[in-house]
Amino acid sequence: MNAPPLLEVSGLCKRYGGLVAIDRLDLIAPAGAITGIIGPNGAGKSTLIGLIGGALTPSAGTIKLAGRDVTRLPASERARAGIGRTYQIPRPFLDMTVEENLEVAQVSIAPLISAAAARQEREALLVRTGLADAASLPARALPLLRRKRLEVARALALKPRLLLLDEVGAGLVDSEIGELIALIQSILDSRTAIVIVEHVIRIVRECCVRSLVLNFGKALVEGPTSEILANDQVAAIYLGTGGARGKAAKGEEAAQLAGAIHVEAPEAEGGKLAPLVAPASGVKEPALDMRNVAAGYGQARVLKGVSLAIAEGEAVAILGANGAGKTTLARVISGAVAPSAGALRIGGRAAAGLAPHRVAALGVAHCMEGRRIFSSLTVEENLRIAARGVDAATIRRRLGAVYDLFPVLAERKAQIGTALSGGQQQMLAIARALMARPRIVIFDEISLGLAPVIMDKLYEALAQLKRARMTLILIEQDVDRALALADRAYVLEQGVFALSGAARDIAADPRLRHVYMGAAD
Amino acid sequence: MRGRANIGAAAEVAIILIAAAALWIAPNFAGDYWLQIGFRTLIYLALAEGWNLMAGSAGLVSLGTSCFVGLGAYIAFGILNKLDAPLPLALAFAAFGGGALAALVSPALFRLRGLYFTVGTLALAELLRLTMINVSAFGGATGIFLKNDPPALPVLFRYALAVALLASFAITCCARSRVSVILRAVRDDEDAAAQMGVRPFRVKLAAFVLASAIATMAGGVQAVKLGAIEPYGMFGLQWSIDVLSMAIIGGVGLRLGPLVGAVFVVALGEALADYPEAHVAIAGVILIVLIRFAPRGVVGFVANPALVLRKPAPA
Repeated sequence: MNAPPLLEVSGLCKRYGGLVAIDRLDLIAPAGAITGIIGPNGAGKSTLIGLIGGALTPSAGTIKLAGRDVTRLPASERARAGIGRTYQIPRPFLDMTVEENLEVAQVSIAPLISAAAARQEREALLVRTGLADAASLPARALPLLRRKRLEVARALALKPRLLLLDEVGAGLVDSEIGELIALIQSILDSRTAIVIVEHVIRIVRECCVRSLVLNFGKALVEGPTSEILANDQVAAIYLGTGGARGKAAKGEEAAQLAGAIHVEAPEAEGGKLAPLVAPASGVKEPALDMRNVAAGYGQARVLKGVSLAIAEGEAVAILGANGAGKTTLARVISGAVAPSAGALRIGGRAAAGLAPHRVAALGVAHCMEGRRIFSSLTVEENLRIAARGVDAATIRRRLGAVYDLFPVLAERKAQIGTALSGGQQQMLAIARALMARPRIVIFDEISLGLAPVIMDKLYEALAQLKRARMTLILIEQDVDRALALADRAYVLEQGVFALSGAARDIAADPRLRHVYMGAAD
Repeated sequence: MRGRANIGAAAEVAIILIAAAALWIAPNFAGDYWLQIGFRTLIYLALAEGWNLMAGSAGLVSLGTSCFVGLGAYIAFGILNKLDAPLPLALAFAAFGGGALAALVSPALFRLRGLYFTVGTLALAELLRLTMINVSAFGGATGIFLKNDPPALPVLFRYALAVALLASFAITCCARSRVSVILRAVRDDEDAAAQMGVRPFRVKLAAFVLASAIATMAGGVQAVKLGAIEPYGMFGLQWSIDVLSMAIIGGVGLRLGPLVGAVFVVALGEALADYPEAHVAIAGVILIVLIRFAPRGVVGFVANPALVLRKPAPA
């Protein structure tokens, strides 16, 4: 009964020069339980995972694994001691196949494992994580969400006693979240501990017995998950309204609390965003017009004839399960993928097959899934690069506007882009898209990895942009938020539009649940 | 799939053995000119195989080849002259010395990543060269003569063949076994590999020691053929540059890269032997063209020409 807890962190500190990322943190993760860690973007959640996993060296404090002090061990020894972790922004071995990615872990912990046993283990793991069909593909060919699955599979190949999952649920639809929860619960046994960092509250609610809220590197509250999620302070700094779903329940009060940390009232923000919104084009034709567009990669046909027309100033949501072709649609519009058939007109100009920079010159900005921050440039350089060929005063005005939208970017403007936390990088990606003062912006999964309260703020900002008549294309897994903002919506299913119409009607359409949630019913 | 991999490995070993056997009897037929060229190609092949193991597998881009070639030359001469030992023993000492030096400097060198490691290896070669020049016990700037006559060309050719064979076998063992995934993991992402339980330091050390041992042996054979060594030639940057360009021309990280690169560079050198200035210029143009149009070298281009027109992969 007196066995030490599987993970015991005490007095943990991590300082980067003057910046304190983790401040005297205590955490216990007992075997046989799942512990949740939530908190605003930049609170230090991924830093904590890095410290426990051994990628980062703590400035002070101790980390004990089943009573053994592992504070000074390098990452490789901690992995061998039984700590498996995932990276929030996946880091697979890109030039190796999915199977080989798992083999690295297997061979390093058991160099003499028989080839047949190792193969069986790998196959079982790939089936469990839904990657069985991708076993012999190079990891480079996997899209973002499948790379996240590979992160989980790779960590499991280590057969860890302590599993650290960093935002593995981001970007999943409800049915997939259900599968992920089942997977996480199946990993847990009486001698394993799991620590989850997650913005998808459903996962935290359904998996974690106890949770810790991290804010500015400190533990804000710790306790049973149900109490944590009901805590007013947590709602104020983190949960916000929880999207349209929670609005009816909490309503005004929560919105006000969330507003307390927002910099400005909505009306004032409308004015401040003005430098980012292009003036009306005066063209009579639709801002975007696609007719029977088909596209794919090599043999794989992803889009099988889609048609849509978006008027200037309209906000359109593109919904659909993962793998339905949403991101490919976005890539076709922005020129990253040339359509194999069909017509594409942007602002009345034929744009099918144009190179991405020419499409960008037509006023299209694409905020890509997976952030794509330039890793060797500072935050401000990342922003400036999107506004080339514009005079200095204009750039200053635009920078002022995006810094106003995301104050944290102003604080961090001299740091390199990848030094930001995952959520902050997402903000940078959005800000960068806006810096070009686009006519049309494609937002691909922009809420992925953002704290709920930041999502509230972000959608407030999008509403402002919409009111300023920017044309918005939203690709989003958060259906409620997307439909609340959009004028119209299209639902993609296996490369064709299964449903389309006014957002209000789509939201009420029973077929949406069926199409979108897949097997969730 | 594993079965197919085993057949592939067996086939590779068989091909290497057959090629080696054919070359072993080559001196019975070939004239001196071809043996000279063959000797040079085999020495370069051994060096490029080692270099390719480091760069293509463990991500260590080295400009220190000359350091180990030179060290091999001096160790071999020392053993041969002072102890009157047979050549194989001298080469074994050279290999041991090269591996030991690599192990000795690795704690310092591996602190440097990427280009800084490259510059570090360059500095190491310079350090050794200056030491040889300034220490009279090592012959100073004039160098050392071999006391006894060097063996005949056919014998030397077979020594070079043995070293190249050893290198090829070592690389096959690394590339065809489960060690290969570990090596490539370290090359792709050292930190992520550590998180998988791989010890990057040990992996890089093993590759570095192996490649260095091969290079010192090759240096020893080369020195014996020359009969006299001096620091400027044996520690010359040209060794490092030649090996680097061979690997790039052949294809970094590809199994056949070093072979194709070595044959290509030696053949080019021969074809342009009468025009030394044109040689450098043409070699430069070829490198530029290859890097622009076939970033994975000749072998990569032949295996998959479509890569030349590669579009960014979907992400």
